[in-house]
Parts: sequence; structure tokens; C-alpha cells
Amino acid sequence: MRRTGSSAVLGVLAAAAGVAVGELLAAATRPPAGPLVAVGGAIIDATPTPVKEFAVRELGTADKPVLLGSIGVVLVVFAAVVGLLTARRWWFGIVGAGILGVAGAGAALSRPAAGIYDAVPSLLAAAVAGVLLVGAARRVPAVAASPAASALGKPSRVLVDRRAFLQAAAVIAGGTVAAGGAAAVVKRARGGAVTASRAAIKLPAAADPAKPLPTGVGPGFVTPNAGFYRVDTALTVPRIDVDSWRLRVHGMVGREQTLSFADLLDRPLIERVITLNCVSNEVGGPYIGTARWLGVPLAPLLREVGIDPGADQLVARSAEGMTIGTPTATVLDGRDAMLCVGMNGEPLPLEHGFPVRMLTPGLFGYAGACKWVTELELTTFAEFDAYWVRRGWAAQAPVKTASRIDRPQPFAEVPAGDATIAGVAWAQGRGIRTVEVRVDDGSWQRADLLPTPSTDTWVQWRLPWKPAAGPHTLTVRATDDTGAVQPEARVTPFPSGATGWHGITVTVT
Amino acid sequence: MRLTKISALAAAAFFTVSIAACGSSSDDSSGAAAPAAAPSPMMSSAAPETMTNFGPGCSAVPTDESNPGSFASMAKVPVATAASGNPVLSTLVAAVKQANLVDSLNTAPDLTVFAPANSAFDKIPAADLKKVLADKKTLTSILTFHVVPGKLTPEQLAGTHKTLEGGSLTVEGSGEMFKVDGTSAVVCGNVQTANATVYIIDTVLMPKK
Repeated sequence: MRRTGSSAVLGVLAAAAGVAVGELLAAATRPPAGPLVAVGGAIIDATPTPVKEFAVRELGTADKPVLLGSIGVVLVVFAAVVGLLTARRWWFGIVGAGILGVAGAGAALSRPAAGIYDAVPSLLAAAVAGVLLVGAARRVPAVAASPAASALGKPSRVLVDRRAFLQAAAVIAGGTVAAGGAAAVVKRARGGAVTASRAAIKLPAAADPAKPLPTGVGPGFVTPNAGFYRVDTALTVPRIDVDSWRLRVHGMVGREQTLSFADLLDRPLIERVITLNCVSNEVGGPYIGTARWLGVPLAPLLREVGIDPGADQLVARSAEGMTIGTPTATVLDGRDAMLCVGMNGEPLPLEHGFPVRMLTPGLFGYAGACKWVTELELTTFAEFDAYWVRRGWAAQAPVKTASRIDRPQPFAEVPAGDATIAGVAWAQGRGIRTVEVRVDDGSWQRADLLPTPSTDTWVQWRLPWKPAAGPHTLTVRATDDTGAVQPEARVTPFPSGATGWHGITVTVT
Repeated sequence: MRLTKISALAAAAFFTVSIAACGSSSDDSSGAAAPAAAPSPMMSSAAPETMTNFGPGCSAVPTDESNPGSFASMAKVPVATAASGNPVLSTLVAAVKQANLVDSLNTAPDLTVFAPANSAFDKIPAADLKKVLADKKTLTSILTFHVVPGKLTPEQLAGTHKTLEGGSLTVEGSGEMFKVDGTSAVVCGNVQTANATVYIIDTVLMPKK
């Protein structure tokens, strides 16, 4: 058997085995540090934008398989050459594996959120490949020159022991399949790479934590993440790799800035309990929730880049192209506008904007709470209409004072006796002064307000009720802390949020 | 009957357009005229369990989920809002407003609504209809007699169901042919809204005394 072919094959097999072991270690410990993904990510980052756009245009969603395939081809060719050289000089195997190891480790360390450990899978891959290659080259020695070729006076061919070669190849290939298979199993078990990278995030403690909720807050004050409303245009939830995520702050600024996720976490974080609601919520509707948000205060970050005084609009752009415009003055007026990284004690759920979303207390979500945000651009309202503004929705969208009856439910049959009417009211930023309930056409009765941590959250209210039998209509209205009564007139959510008093019908039996 | 079918068809089609425009897709459907037709930031994750509609009034509705005119988009707004942009259900909508039931219908968790088309109200003598609309108590009991708690699938539709009014209604039939209380035919069935399944019917139901 000719040595040229067998050496090349052994080189490729050894490299494959090394990569498989490296991927297995990464899959089990830190998925973004996998040699192939790390090299792929580094190449994508190093690729000029026009080339990337060309790739996306020409290859569509195949761009990433094509990239990984290309890396594979380069690796195979390199490994085959190293295999050939190792058959002549054993230390070529060490040098070749070392080059691969350094390349992989360098790529892994270049990832934004990388730690020193991220080099380990690639270095392990190189060590395994090097040892296997050198070991195999020694076990499969050249046996003899071809007698026929020598007799004919042709250049002698070096042959190897076919049996020894096949044994070595089978062992390495078997190990590769086992390690590669195990890596695949581990990856699947850990969910997608993004899910895994989210799970791997350790959010730092807030430098300025939220105060504990006041005693007396009712159940349901904080909305669990799983029950938090979701309103967006994303057909599939964007899955953003946190390591390659970047936030570009640009436009009418003194100095453009690009931040990685690690850069964000290095800044002092604040934690606040804030109620967020959607402009398209009907009167009494469900698109509102309250969470404990962890994030980077936006105002100092913007002041660092230097805002042109004429830039009256901050446009946040998401990974899937959503644009959300917020008045710059609103972000800078002292409220807790922030770039959120955490929600109720965990990294943002994928569907709530992982890894980073914006939040502006006191504005409807479509005007201040961009999910999956990747860009902040300082511009003007005259210059740019954000996504929903182009569709006729108001450019300025402070939340409207509103209230909702949660108990009893509409059409409920309420047993006669002592009952309670309960619900929530909200006017983020202004705060709620009073909530009043009217039974049928009776007089307005003041409900009890439960405590709140700040004016940026909803208020829970309740009113004891001794109902008479029969059908009843219950109506609620709130007054904000400026003294303005929630408007009775019905308007639709379009273009700037619904108004009207929530009224429901129940039957007392 | 023919008129009923046509109005139901128009109902379903208009229903769809007006509601769907509030759907979540990024398509720009600002060609629609009514303010309610402006595309709106809406739930994108709501996925109704069943999308199979039936009846002569349903055939004009696109089935492609990405089409803003599809039942999938329609499923994203609550039932009273869904009905309110629809001229062929305008009498029902007016009655619901008159009885102050808009919020109750919109914010109740799960409902089945038997929605009489305008042609159903047209069968009631004008003077009687006017009288009923002016009497909130009677109106409320008539309207709540058209609403059943829980979302009934077509498979669950046949049978006797207790209404929110307190009395029961009986649905007979199977497949795509149903009659409610022996008189009122379902002309477009299994229409999904965010919180209710709607069956459009051709005759107003009356609570049993």
C-alpha cells in the first residue's frame, strides 16, 4: 500500500478526531467555544459587510452551512498535507496540529464574551490530533520499496503495512465517530446553541438594586416571564448569539461606539420594577405586565457618546429590522430608561428580546421598548419615521391612564354575600391617586389601593362589595396623580392607545 | 335564505379584512380605509388550535397564514372588537354597545358566540326591535343567551349548552350543517377570535321564558 495516500488519510482522520473531541468538550462545558463555531464566527466578523451581504443574497439561509463546509475543506486539505509531511518527519505532525490549535484558540478568544477557558477546546483538539497523527505514523511504518518499480528503474514508491494502516485508521475513525456523536447528543440535550449561551450567562448583581416590594403587595403584582404578554412582528423568535451580538450607537453623536454584551455587563447595572404595556391593548385587555428588570441606564451611555443637541429622536433598531423611535428628551429626563439584560432574575427570555432590549418607563412598548436591539441611532423626528409611525401610529406615545377589573370576571356568577371587586390601574410615571368603582348606576366608591414600589408600576386595587342578587354592571375609573380622571370617551387603540372605562357584567346568585 | 348567505359571505369577508389588518405581519396594509384597519402591534404568538372554518360564508377567506386577510390574523383581536368593524354585524354590535357588553365580551377568557347577522335582526319587526334595543334588561338577556362559556369546536357543537343568560340552547346537526334551537342556521362556523369562537347565524335566538 502506498504511503502517500495512507499518510494523507491518517492526517485527515487525526484532525477529525481532534476536532470531534474539542467539540465534545465545548458542547459539554461551553458551546460557543467549539472550534468550528469559533472559527466560523471569527470569519463572519472579519468578513467585510459587502461580502456578507453578497453571501446572504446569493446563498440565502445556506450561507452558514457553506461557511462551515468551506472551513471543513480547508481543514481537510491542511490535515492531508500535514499527514504527508509527518510520514517523513514526525515533528511535522506536532507543528501542524499546533498551528490548528493556535488558530482555533485565537478565534475562540476573539469572541466578544470569551474567557480564557474558551481556548481549551481548540487546544485539546490540537493535542489529540497531534498525538494521534504522530502515534499512527509510528505504528504504520514504511515496510519496503516496491520491487517491481525498482526493477523497472522508476522512482521508488514507499509502501506501508496495509494491515497496520487499516487498524490505525479504524481506531481513529471509530473514536471520531464516537466523540462527534457524543458532541451532537450533548448539544441537542442542551438545546440550541443560543439557548445554551443564554443559560451560560451569569448576570452580575445590580449596582443599584430594586428595593424589596413593599409589604402588602398583592399576589400577581409581578408577572411571571412565562405569562408576560408578547406583542411583536417577529414571525420566528430571533435567536441571537450573545457572543457575536453588538450594539452600535451612532448617528448624530460625537463619537460612534460599539458595545459587546460583555461591555454592557461591565457597566453599573440598575434593577427596577416597571410595568410595560402595549398600545394595541383594548380597554380591559391583557397586553400589560410588570417585571423586575435588570439593565444598563441609557442616559449616561448616550451622554458618553455625545448627543448632538438637535437629535430629538433616538431610533432603536432590532436584529430583525424593527425600528422604534423614542424622544431623546424622554430618555434623558431622569426616568429609568435602560437597556435590559435581565427579567425577573434571569437573562431575557428569547421571545422578550434576548440578549438585550430597550425599556422606557411611561411610554407604550412600540415607542420605547425595542426587543433584540442591535443599534441605537440619534436622529430627528423630521428625518425618520419609525416602523409603526410609518403605519399611522402616533410618534409620541406616553401611556394613558387606565384601569381594569380582574375580579370578578365578565359574566361570572358571583355568590351572594361578601364579595370583592379587584383589579389594577396604571399611569406609569405619573402614578395613580384614586381608583373608583361604580355598581350599576350607583355612586362612585373609592377602592383601596395596595402599596407600590414606584410610580412606574401598576397599582392593585380592591373594593369590598355586598351585592344584591341579579345582574350587575361594574365600572372602574382611575385618577392619576396630576388629578386627571381617566377619560370616559371610547377611542380605539389606533393611533395612540385606547381610552374608556372598563365595565363588565356579572350575575349575583 | 339567499340574502342571508350573501350577507354572511360579506360578513366573513369584511370581518376578515378589517380585523386582519390589525394583524402582526409586517405587510403594509394601510390601503384599508377605517382607522381600525391600520396594522397594529399585535400578538404574534397566538396560535389558535383549530383553523378549519366551514359554511357558505367562509369560502372567500384566504387560508394562507401569512396573508393578513386570513383567519389566522383574525384570531388576534378579541371578539367584540373583531365584530365592530363589520357592517354586516352592525346591528349586533350596536345592541352589544347598547347593553354595555363590549368589555365583558372582549375580556372574558373563553367564549362561544352565536352571532346573528344583520339579516337575522331584519326578520324581527322594526317596532319590536326598537323596543328591545331600548330595554337594556331584555336586550342583555337576549344577547347573553347567544353566548356559551368555553370555546366549542364543531365537534363539540351539537348538544345542549347552558348560556350566560342562564337558559340553555340546543344545537342539532353535524359536519358543516348545524341548526340552533331548531330555527337558526349556522352560515359561517368556527371563526376564531382572540378570546372566542364565533358561529354566525341567520336568526336571532330567544331565551325561553
